[in-house]
Amino acid sequence: MFRNFFRIVSGSFSPELLKRVYLGGFLVLAGVLFWYQIIRGDYYFQRAKNNYLKVIPLASMRGAIFDRNGQAIAYDRPVFSIGVIPYQIESSREGLFAALSEFSGSSLKTLDKSYRKNFQSYFSPVDIITDVDKAKALAIKEKFSDSVVVITRPQRYYPNSYQLAHVLGYVKEAKAFYQELKNYGYSPLERVGINGVEQVYDAYLRGAEGGKLIEVDSRGRIMGFLGEQLPQKGKDITLTVDSRIQLAADSALGQQKGALILMDSQDGGILALCSKPYFNPNDFISGKNIQAVFNDPGSPLLNRAYQATFPIGSTFKPIMATAALEEGKITPASSFNCSGEFHLGRAAFRCWTIHGIQNLYEALAHSCNVYFYNLGMILGPEPITDWAGKFGLNSLTGIDLPSEKSGFVPSRQWKQKEIKSVWYPGDTVNFSIGQGYLLASPLAIMRAMNVFANGGYLVRPHLIKEIDSIDSGISTRAYLGISEKNLQAVRQGLREAVLRDDGSAHILQRLNLKFSGKTGTAQNSGKAHGWFTGFFTYQDKTYTICVFIEHGGASYEAVKIAYYFLKSVIENNLL
Amino acid sequence: MNIFSRKFTSLDFKGLKTICVCLLILNILSLASIYSSLHQAGQFAEREVLYKQIVWIIVSWLALIIFANINYRIYFDLAYLIYGLNLILLIGVMFFGKSVMGAQRWIEIFGMNFQPSELSKIAAIIILARFFSLSSPRGLVYGFLLPLIFIVLNALVIFIQPDLGTALIIVFLFFSLGFFSRIPKRFFIGLIALGLLVSPFLLNHLKDYQKRRLLVFMNPNLDPLGAGYSIIQSKIAVGSGKLAGKGFLSGTQNQFNFLPERHTDFIFTVIGEEWGFIGSLFLIIIYWLILKKILQQAQRARDEFASFFCLGISLFFFFHLFINIGMTLGILPVVGLPLIFLSYGGSNLLIASILLGIFFNISRTAR
Repeated sequence: MFRNFFRIVSGSFSPELLKRVYLGGFLVLAGVLFWYQIIRGDYYFQRAKNNYLKVIPLASMRGAIFDRNGQAIAYDRPVFSIGVIPYQIESSREGLFAALSEFSGSSLKTLDKSYRKNFQSYFSPVDIITDVDKAKALAIKEKFSDSVVVITRPQRYYPNSYQLAHVLGYVKEAKAFYQELKNYGYSPLERVGINGVEQVYDAYLRGAEGGKLIEVDSRGRIMGFLGEQLPQKGKDITLTVDSRIQLAADSALGQQKGALILMDSQDGGILALCSKPYFNPNDFISGKNIQAVFNDPGSPLLNRAYQATFPIGSTFKPIMATAALEEGKITPASSFNCSGEFHLGRAAFRCWTIHGIQNLYEALAHSCNVYFYNLGMILGPEPITDWAGKFGLNSLTGIDLPSEKSGFVPSRQWKQKEIKSVWYPGDTVNFSIGQGYLLASPLAIMRAMNVFANGGYLVRPHLIKEIDSIDSGISTRAYLGISEKNLQAVRQGLREAVLRDDGSAHILQRLNLKFSGKTGTAQNSGKAHGWFTGFFTYQDKTYTICVFIEHGGASYEAVKIAYYFLKSVIENNLL
Repeated sequence: MNIFSRKFTSLDFKGLKTICVCLLILNILSLASIYSSLHQAGQFAEREVLYKQIVWIIVSWLALIIFANINYRIYFDLAYLIYGLNLILLIGVMFFGKSVMGAQRWIEIFGMNFQPSELSKIAAIIILARFFSLSSPRGLVYGFLLPLIFIVLNALVIFIQPDLGTALIIVFLFFSLGFFSRIPKRFFIGLIALGLLVSPFLLNHLKDYQKRRLLVFMNPNLDPLGAGYSIIQSKIAVGSGKLAGKGFLSGTQNQFNFLPERHTDFIFTVIGEEWGFIGSLFLIIIYWLILKKILQQAQRARDEFASFFCLGISLFFFFHLFINIGMTLGILPVVGLPLIFLSYGGSNLLIASILLGIFFNISRTAR
């Protein structure tokens, strides 16, 4: 081969050979052209398009959120900011920023920082002074005329700030979670709901972003305008929540750590859902003080009404009573003697006082532990597990809020499998009064109590009433199949807890409502949690309430809060 | 000796009609492409650039006619003188020339900028044609060493300007014409091997922007906004032309200013984008027709000097075409050579026309 090559090279060169070399060269060029223009033509055509076609997004208005009275509790308001268009100020940037800083009072550092942070492209406006009032925006525009632009964009605003934070959540630009969200068609600057109703109903609330299609040259100068798609506003939604009642709940709860929920007994619509401590969602919009919220040891972002579970204590007793009645182990007249203590082998389980002979009504009214220890021993753990499950304590309530935490109901099998230990009779005794492994959220407890309020139905608690003026149709309920007689018996016991002078919740009788309820003082590693859950009839409608005070010491606190809350609600005619 | 082979007024283009038609087509294509490349978003900005090019085209036709009527043998006699003058001009440019974009290549003549390095291309062809036509296998000093020294000296002066493209063309001419001479080919091959050995050393002496161009040629994505930008955007432009192109004045890469230097070195991208594969192929065929004609003449020339001269002219054209189109397509590095007869610019158009004129004279005196 080398010899062959050498012969060609050393042979005489003729113009004929050169002709072939040229032809070869031109064929190579034609081949490369064929590759780029014919085979890869579509690809390069698209790339050329991407070069000069740009979309400038136009922000859409997010749907507003109204409470049941039509009061706006979250809506978009226009905010003004001062922006610059990079290619226009390319050379004069430093001078312009210095002048702007002097005129507006914002520091030069802030301007530079915003410019770098908000820069998107050479030709679209970059915010450098954000959130200025209209007068100031116009003054700046007048002074700097064409070198700045006034940008109006919708900003989320929550007029109730703290009080509805846990219900509503807040919004954030999608760019923080862009990898996940882009598959759902979000653009980086579009606002997406975080937590609360804003998150759950984001698909309705978010509008459709619009955009301007423009032609730009290599330096980003706008050369032509091809068309515009106007943004579309998202759908408005109406909640079952009453912001006035929510405010009353908030002030009744005061500085206590805990939760207060008020619900329509029949359809499960939530009128107030309050969790403390809380946060101001407007801070998340402006981006101020957020770190303090995240670092707060009181976990203000946690919604204690349904995102956390706690020992439920005596509020479990109505479920125990129902189980025993339904399993046919007792009648309402069945009585047990409370000597202040219950002996199981060598162990003694205490009652909080000496009640003497107690029937079902008395036991519920006084919250007698010994009575329910006895029911537990008669029933054994399996029916208790079953009935706790039937009342929804080991499942989600299905409320239309994100990150709900399911309650937990222990069982003999569970303990063997997970704790690697047998189920002792002592476990049953603890289980009977809602202690031990049993955990549930205030919302789940309220829903269980609500079964007695509405004639035996497990409802789905919800916040949504209407989407775009169309009824949500979310309200569903499941019939538990408890006999009316047994329901009535438990109801009677719960009524007496309020009615009787020595009933555990008797101060509620002062409200003059047909009130039934159950207190609870749940032991835990710290100070006991205070519980009250009950239901009442007001103007022919039944409502269910739950008050939970984290480490509140005793149930009395919870009952007191329920009292002041409802007192204010009734006095102000809010229901 | 009468330097005019026939009467000065004679415009006898017998057998040269093809080349004249091709040249006219190229002139029209050149004006159209320059017009399109200066046309932005519906506006035609730099009118005077187009007018200048029209003047250059007229001047180049005049030059072609004049040189077609000058007996080519005179270059054989004046070879040393032309070479010497060219060298003096080049050295003069180093001291008195105008500097544009960091390269000192231009001198001003009658208000128009002229690059003496372009003249070197003619001088190199003349001196090589003379040496090689006289060469004998044994006359190594006269047939090999002396032209080598002449060429290296000339290339070095141009390289300093710096104008890598022209320097390379002159060196290429030496080797490719040398292969047609009677000098044993092993000398040229040996010299190429030596050149490859010392090339790493030479690379170190390239200007930074030249080195960058070479690196970016290997991988344009190294520097997509800097040196690689030209290549990427030029590929996009040519590729997006697809089969039939986007149409006159409708190339988006061109109209929206994504192509750099598009009325000079990158003019081929304008044609590729606006006229597509069909237009590009048409252009290449035109060039091919011209080259074919010149090579035919090389075989029929009256003497060996004429033969070498024709080969030199064809090689000069081919190098420019292949390297220029190759660089816009990203298969060759960006060395800054114009596309003959198409790119904006007087010097290279004038030189190419003069060479064609000389070729016309050769073909008219052919056997």
